[in-house]
Amino acid sequence: MSFRHYKEKIEEGDTVILYLSNHLHAIEVKPEIKNKKGELIENVYQTTFGALKVRNLIGSEYGSKVELSKGWGHVLQPTPELWSLTLPHRTQIIYTPDISMILLQLDLVPGCVVIEAGTGSGSLTHALIRRIRPHGHVYTFDFHDHRAMLAQEEFEAHGIADFVTAKHRDVLAEGFGEDLNGKADAVFLDLPSPWTGVKHAVAAMKKEGGRFCSFSPCIEQVQRTCLALQEHSFQDISTMEVLQTELKVSRRTIPVRDLSFLKHKSSNNPVEEKPSSEKNYIVGSWPATAPGHTGYLTVATLPPQYIRRKCKVDKDIMEDSKADSEVDQVADHENGKMCIEENP
Amino acid sequence: MADNTIKLGEYIVIQKQNYKKLHKFNKPNSVVNIGKDAVNLKGIEGNRYFSIFKMIPHGTKRNKEYKLELAEETCSLKEEITLKASGADNRNIYDDGRSQKLSAVEIDELKFDSNKASDIVETIITNSTTFHNKTEFSQEKYLKKKEKKYFEYVQILKPNLRNISEIMYKLEPNKIQGIRLDTLSQIITLSNVSCEGNHLLYDSGSNGLLAAALLGAMGSQANGKLVHMHPGNMSQKQALLAMNFETEQYNKCISVNVYSVLRQLYQGCDTNTVDKEDSTLKRKAVDDLEHDAKVSKLEDTENATSNVDIVNTGEENKLPSPKKPKWHFDNIAASEVLSNKVDSLVVASKEDPQNIFLELLPFVKPGRPFVIYYTVAEPLQSLYITLKCLSNVAALKLTCNWMRNYQILPERTHPEVMMNSSSGFLLTGYVLQ
Ligand SMILES: C[S@@+](CC[C@H](N)C(=O)[O-])C[C@H]1O[C@@H](n2cnc3c(N)ncnc32)[C@H](O)[C@@H]1O
Repeated sequence: MSFRHYKEKIEEGDTVILYLSNHLHAIEVKPEIKNKKGELIENVYQTTFGALKVRNLIGSEYGSKVELSKGWGHVLQPTPELWSLTLPHRTQIIYTPDISMILLQLDLVPGCVVIEAGTGSGSLTHALIRRIRPHGHVYTFDFHDHRAMLAQEEFEAHGIADFVTAKHRDVLAEGFGEDLNGKADAVFLDLPSPWTGVKHAVAAMKKEGGRFCSFSPCIEQVQRTCLALQEHSFQDISTMEVLQTELKVSRRTIPVRDLSFLKHKSSNNPVEEKPSSEKNYIVGSWPATAPGHTGYLTVATLPPQYIRRKCKVDKDIMEDSKADSEVDQVADHENGKMCIEENP
Repeated sequence: MADNTIKLGEYIVIQKQNYKKLHKFNKPNSVVNIGKDAVNLKGIEGNRYFSIFKMIPHGTKRNKEYKLELAEETCSLKEEITLKASGADNRNIYDDGRSQKLSAVEIDELKFDSNKASDIVETIITNSTTFHNKTEFSQEKYLKKKEKKYFEYVQILKPNLRNISEIMYKLEPNKIQGIRLDTLSQIITLSNVSCEGNHLLYDSGSNGLLAAALLGAMGSQANGKLVHMHPGNMSQKQALLAMNFETEQYNKCISVNVYSVLRQLYQGCDTNTVDKEDSTLKRKAVDDLEHDAKVSKLEDTENATSNVDIVNTGEENKLPSPKKPKWHFDNIAASEVLSNKVDSLVVASKEDPQNIFLELLPFVKPGRPFVIYYTVAEPLQSLYITLKCLSNVAALKLTCNWMRNYQILPERTHPEVMMNSSSGFLLTGYVLQ
């Protein structure tokens, strides 16, 4: 339940983050767990610094030190950022640098209604929920039933289920559902063919318009998505990439080699000298290898209905343009002009 | 949220092509400069946000001004002008400056006489000897360029954190300490700010951008306060004001001078110094106003609702029964928040972050996150070492961001030619008991 409110003390059922000299672990605070035979046994969490009796965490304060059999660690209350670093991976996930940009690009503030597909491991979902609370809502979809179910269970265990609805659904084939038509302030897609989801995003967005964002690892996906966005009268379409690098900070002592004495004749004439002195620096070194690519973020604004441009459908770029008719009728505003020739 | 009409007294974003401008819409017929053009905003009031207006030239040739007329829809030049012929490559194109038969003056007159951008460009094309030899790609590129030059529409957008920070970063990154969009977005997430809790910000130079970001993420139903500490006499609030927050939400941000609030906290009420401080405050406030008027290109001379407030309070103090100034109560409120401890700490200082951070750290509850921004790495590296030794924080991380935008076009996708390469550094972690 430790995702819902700020807490001072650890209670049974919380998820806590154990911080051990630069390693983070998420632990569910259950005094007992079932073993392979299905019997309840004492829950002992093994770390590189020895064993931790999970029961002992109950009642201790967040931010405090915990004793392990061969050292100690600290316990933190999970934030969506700590969760992204420790969650059980059921899929590829999106990390904080991209998540942060997604939240900002979608113009999300408390009270917004946002749609997400697919749910995956719920890394982004936790950050979405925190941002739209307390009076907004996240609708998240995954066509993998097990993932959708596990996500729902996780939101309940984390105490944030009332801000989110997790559903099992193929959103590219079926859209986001009738009941979400005209409801969303923002739509986010992280799935293999986002361009097919654009028309559903249009249907789901409020008539005042909204923001769209899609995360795609490949540039070809981005190109097709941008075309689809243009066709559906989105404006301010833009694509970007965000990367974060962690610098390793350390003290470094480096040798100083003096060459100035060579200007003058002296008794000794060495060819190889030991460095004459040392100098101390605090340095930040760039890692030898670092993430070079996560995904492209493509963002766009759907303007309010009254101003949406009439779609000029270019048949050779939008192969699924015929299927768009319902959406385009929505998009085609008050004056009732038709935008697709094929439409009666 | 529900109200989407352009109102007097609010900030608006004026967008023309890729150019965006933040403007405080104070007078219904104020004239703003958009690029080289002077545009009269008469008539936009009461229209819905996202409305598109056509720029109609008007006035004398010498003293040109555009007026705005609500447009049904925009159109791109490519759609309006049918490209008749195009060449296969650029082999026959010479850039000898003679390909355009119209003179610059003639083109300018055309621009002024003609109402339609497409007419102008069509005339220019007709008078160009090379256009029809150009490849379709170069023709399109040419039209795009002309579109930029003669495009005659502006769109009025509602300000939000995204477009405000984009505008401020593009205009003068130094005025917001070079905090780029990606870095800003991470400051908000890494501080775990939400509708819950009290948050502490020390900001000595982001023009209110960080306060705007954090207050926005706290939302209209936030149950806590944002204590916004600044070292000067006045807090800089431009971005905060530009968000057009409702009063209730706006008031959740308590802006206080760092000296006054800490003195209040440690020494109790410093009433004996009020008079003295107040008069310096008043003088500085006026200075600030003038300074703003000269320096700020964001047209924000009237940014200072708060400045004006303080000037007024100064005046009130001369009255027989002096009323305590607003900042006096703000100091008390803020020091109360601090003594109950806060749920996050963000420091974005021009000064060395070390002292400031170590002084403010005791106000943060154990287990809560902090984020320190600095434009270069060295002060943060040294703070990193200090904190490692003190071992009162966990998960300490020094990071740096890289962000690149892309041009996405069929067969012509590539990273944008220019990128914003400075974004500062973040030192983040969690406070331990
Ligand atoms: C990369 S994962 C998303 C990860 C998620 N953003 C996170 O941060 O944890 C992509 C998910 O999309 C789901 N998916 C793919 N196509 C889908 C579709 N058409 N409808 C719904 N979900 C889909 C997959 O099952 C997978 O779980």
